[in-house]
Parts: sequence; C-alpha cells; structure tokens
Amino acid sequence: MRLTALGLGCITAVLSSCATGDGRTGFSGEAATSYRQEVGPAVSSFPARESSPSTPSEPGRQFVTHTRQAIRSAIDDVERSRAGIAGSLHQLTDNRRLSGRANGVFIRHIVYGSNQLQWLHGALGGVTTLADVAWGVDEPDMGLALLRLTGPPLQAATSGATLLAAWTDFLNLADAVLRQCPSYGTERLYADMNRVQQLIEPSMRALSSLEPAQVEAAAAAMPELMGQLTWEFHSIREGARVATERADQMMAAAQLVEMLTLVSALRMSLPRLPPAAPATLGVGLVMGSNGVMVGSRLAVSAEWVERMRRLVQAGVLSVPAVSAAVRIHAGQVMMAQAHQELPRGVREALGDGPEVRGMRVTGKTGAGMAESPEHHVLPDEFREWFEKRGFTGAMSIDQFCVKLEQAHHQAIHGGGNWRLGRLWPNEWNRMIMGALREAEITAGRMLTRNEILNIVGENMKLYDIPMNFIPGRRR
Amino acid sequence: MTDGRSWQGNWKARLYERVRERGYDSLTTFAEARPTASLAALAEELGKDDVAGVQVLSGLLAEAEQRKQVTRFMRDVLVRLLSQSIPDGWPGVLDDANRFNVAKALGSWIAYTPETHQERARQVRTALLATPPPPGWRPLGPDDGLLRTLLPDDEA
Repeated sequence: MRLTALGLGCITAVLSSCATGDGRTGFSGEAATSYRQEVGPAVSSFPARESSPSTPSEPGRQFVTHTRQAIRSAIDDVERSRAGIAGSLHQLTDNRRLSGRANGVFIRHIVYGSNQLQWLHGALGGVTTLADVAWGVDEPDMGLALLRLTGPPLQAATSGATLLAAWTDFLNLADAVLRQCPSYGTERLYADMNRVQQLIEPSMRALSSLEPAQVEAAAAAMPELMGQLTWEFHSIREGARVATERADQMMAAAQLVEMLTLVSALRMSLPRLPPAAPATLGVGLVMGSNGVMVGSRLAVSAEWVERMRRLVQAGVLSVPAVSAAVRIHAGQVMMAQAHQELPRGVREALGDGPEVRGMRVTGKTGAGMAESPEHHVLPDEFREWFEKRGFTGAMSIDQFCVKLEQAHHQAIHGGGNWRLGRLWPNEWNRMIMGALREAEITAGRMLTRNEILNIVGENMKLYDIPMNFIPGRRR
Repeated sequence: MTDGRSWQGNWKARLYERVRERGYDSLTTFAEARPTASLAALAEELGKDDVAGVQVLSGLLAEAEQRKQVTRFMRDVLVRLLSQSIPDGWPGVLDDANRFNVAKALGSWIAYTPETHQERARQVRTALLATPPPPGWRPLGPDDGLLRTLLPDDEA
C-alpha cells in the first residue's frame, strides 16, 4: 500500500520545508507547488558534516554553535508555518467566509485557532531567548545546558503548529462545505467541528502547558491523533459529497469538482482511509542518502534528518518525539501502531543510541537517583534579585534547577560530613550569592544575565554540580 | 564535570590518597607546586572523574587553619582566580569586559574566603581598585611581593 500524500494539507505545508528544504511554507499561491516537490525524485545529497576548520581546543563551543543553528532552523520552520496559519485564519474571519456564514456559529472555532497562535508565539520567543543566551555564555557546558532547556518549548511549538495547521484545514473544509454543499447541513457540520475540536483539545492543552513531561507525551502521541484527524477529515468530506449528490444529482459532479479545486488551492491533499488489511508500521521506510524514503517518495530530507540528529545528540529533543514527527511526515499516521518504533536504520540516522537514551533527563539525574531533591541553582530566596537582572520568562530561575543525589545535596548545603573549616561559608546559596554580590560591588554596576551565568557556571563546575537543568516549579 | 561522582564515598580519604599517590605529603604542597593552576585543574589532576574543585579548596583551607596560614591560603587562592580570569595579567584599561573579569575573580575570592577573613579580603579589593597594580601584573604564587604587601602574614 502506498500513501501518496499526507493526511491533511496544511500539515504537508508545515512539513514541506523539512522535505524540500526550500523553506517555503507560506500559504501564498506561489508556494502551492512547493510541497509537491517532495514527491518527485530527491535531488539533494546527504550534507557533508560541517567540515569547516575545527578548532580542536573548542569542540564544545562548536557543538553549541551547531546545536544552536539547528534550533534556529527549527524555529524558522515553525515560525513560517505559524505565519501561514495566521494568514489563513485571518482570511476566514472575512464576512464572506466562514466567519460570516451560518449566523457566525463557527466564529468560536476560528477564535480557538487564533488563541493557539499566542502560546505558539510565546513558546518560540522563549526558545529564541534561550538559544541566544546559550550562544552568549562563555562556558560551552553552560551553553549546552541552556540549549537543552529549549527542548520542551521547541517540541511543543513544533507539534502545536502541526496540530493547529490541521485545525486550520478543518476550518477551511467547513468553509468549503458551507459554500458548496449547503445540503450537508449546518448543524451537522457544527457537531463535526465540535467533535474534532474535542479530539484536538487535550493534546493542544498539554502542548501549550510547555511542561516537559506533558509535551513529551503529547508529541509522542501525535501520529495517532493525526490518524484520527485524517479519518475525520475524510469522513466529513465524503459526507458532504454524498449529501450533495442526493440533493442534486445534476449539480453534484460540477460542484464537487469546484469544491476540490478550492480545496486543492489551499493545498489540501486527499486523505485515504487505511486499507482493510493491517499494515505494519515502518514498512517501506528506509534511510537513504537523500533522507527517509517511503517507497520512492522522500518523507523527510537528509538535511532535516541531520538537524534532528544534532538536536537528539545534544539532548534537546527526544528520539520518540522525533520519530513521531517522521511518522507524520511519512504519512503513516493512518496506522494505529502507536508505540512501534521506526526501523533501526532510520532511528540510527536520527542519532538514536544507548548514550542518547541515557542522556535526556526528564526528572532524574540517572539510575538510582529517583528521589533526588530538586535544587534551585539560582537561589529561590533571591528570586527578585535575579528578576531585576533579567531572569524572567523563559529565563526564570525556575528553569535552572538541578537534581542532586542526597549526599551531594547535603554537601553543598554544608550539612553532612562536609565542613572542614568551622566558619567556611560553603553553603551553596550563601557562596553563590556572595560571589555574585561581591562581583557587582567590584564592578561597580549590576551584572548582566550572561555575566551571572558565567559566574554560576564556573561555580557549578567547582562544586561538581551536573550542568543539566530541569525546569522546576515555583515554590 | 564529573556528574556528581566526586561526592560519592569518602571523598576526603580519596583526596588525600591521590595527593600521597602523587608524592606529596599535603594538599598544600601539591597545590603550591602548581601555583597558578585553577582549582578545577588541581581537582582534575587529582581525579578527573571523582574530585571536585571545592573539595580541594576546602582541604587547602583546613590545612591552612591547622598551620595558621589562612592569609597565605587567601593569597594562594587569589593567584589562581586571577590567572584564570585575567591570564594576561592586570589589564591596562579597565573597560567593561576587563572590569567584569577582575570582578569575577575578586567576587569569587571573597566568597571563598572564610567569614573571619572576609573583611580583610574586601579591603584588599578596595586597595587593588584604588591603586591598580601596573598593567600586566601577574602574581605567580602566594609569595608575590605586591600581594604580600596587601595581605601580609599575620599569624605566628
């Protein structure tokens, strides 16, 4: 079996830049052909690993640079699709479009879409801030730790944009059905849209929370959800076709063609229902020199794979989340095997490996440290002090928490078997605040955010605190 | 970065075992043989995976207190912090970047100093900023002349 196109048009739009690498994901007419490029023979070759002269003394710095580049490309992709979605939603608010029809009952559905744009924007802003700060800090380990913090919001924005694109497709479908197939019935369509929104809502809420565990779960469940949405899309459109035929046999064919033309202008692709016979996930998915292939079709480009590999190996994104994206790209959303893995060759190309699996921390420092206490590296008692120096929003001190083994935690708090000197101010909070405040007095001015991170990073090394931040909660 | 392994087990015993293995009878003599090395570098030499810089710092202070050489310890630590922050010596011009580098070294130094001696450390800072050392000044150990003037031994 072959799925020639992705379930939903806008999703294809979101993903097209991944496959074609041409960066065009807008909704303008000229872009309409770009996503088809992925179907044709792939021309790009596997990109050479960055072969610029590497300074052996600065491999860590270079790693930060490359990771940040990959993050920026990912941000650009999402930002482009976000802009496209925003444009599409805006068009629907025209009185002659969905917004003005059926006494405006569908306005709430458009508003639901528009509301999502806000958190997407916020998440992308946070990712940009973190990536830029990471670039500015001197210490590569600190830079990398900051880049890893971009993982949850970046994943949330990516998955959220895909989901919102799908929702926009449904809005456009509703618009088309209202115009072209009045016999389908407004009430029925309204019920359809409510049902679809209910399907989308839990995932959208989880993603918009930006909470790492929720985002991760929602991202991994995306292929299944996209499969359901594809099925819903198909069934609404089929219903519209049947209703039109019954109401007016003579007009049916012409109207259907017109409707499809309209839909096709919005780059909707025709979703196909899954075959009756069970399909095995991953069949035909092969990592080739051009990227991941589904049969003869390029699902994701080698450039995209390379970018994801960087992000996976830097611990920014997880293998399950990236695998889910590949499945959506590959059009395998129709298959229900939610928890099956991609073929090994593809996983390896995405940077999967034992060390990567062990690296990404979602709440534990490692094996046997399940009950590690959480510790604010930038002391919570001095929240305001840090806020005045720019530690707000995506850079809030709650982002800078670490999990420490009990013995270590006691040690840096000056407890346990630690004190060598009687009045040694070895308690972390006092020491770090002392170092920061005395540095300010010496400099005769407030320290900048990066300068604070510089000093904190050096002292984390001194105390052997793992440079692995876990966003914590405000106490 | 040792991912927290430096805090497992009896780290004090481990620290001294490594010092002895390298042929020194104390942490202080080990450190003074590397007078401009950073605390992190000292820790790395003693155990790349299981010794933390702050353990070295703590051990050096403990020995200094026993020997009644806390001010010497302070000079020793300041030398290490300065050569880490301003490796080319005292800057000729205190522009914003240089000022931060000096501030980082002195700020951390005061924070690492035991409370009993912090006021003296602050006075040294004031003196250094009020009458800056000649450009390029780069103390190479706790016996540096200028440092001894600013922070003389006061213990027996």
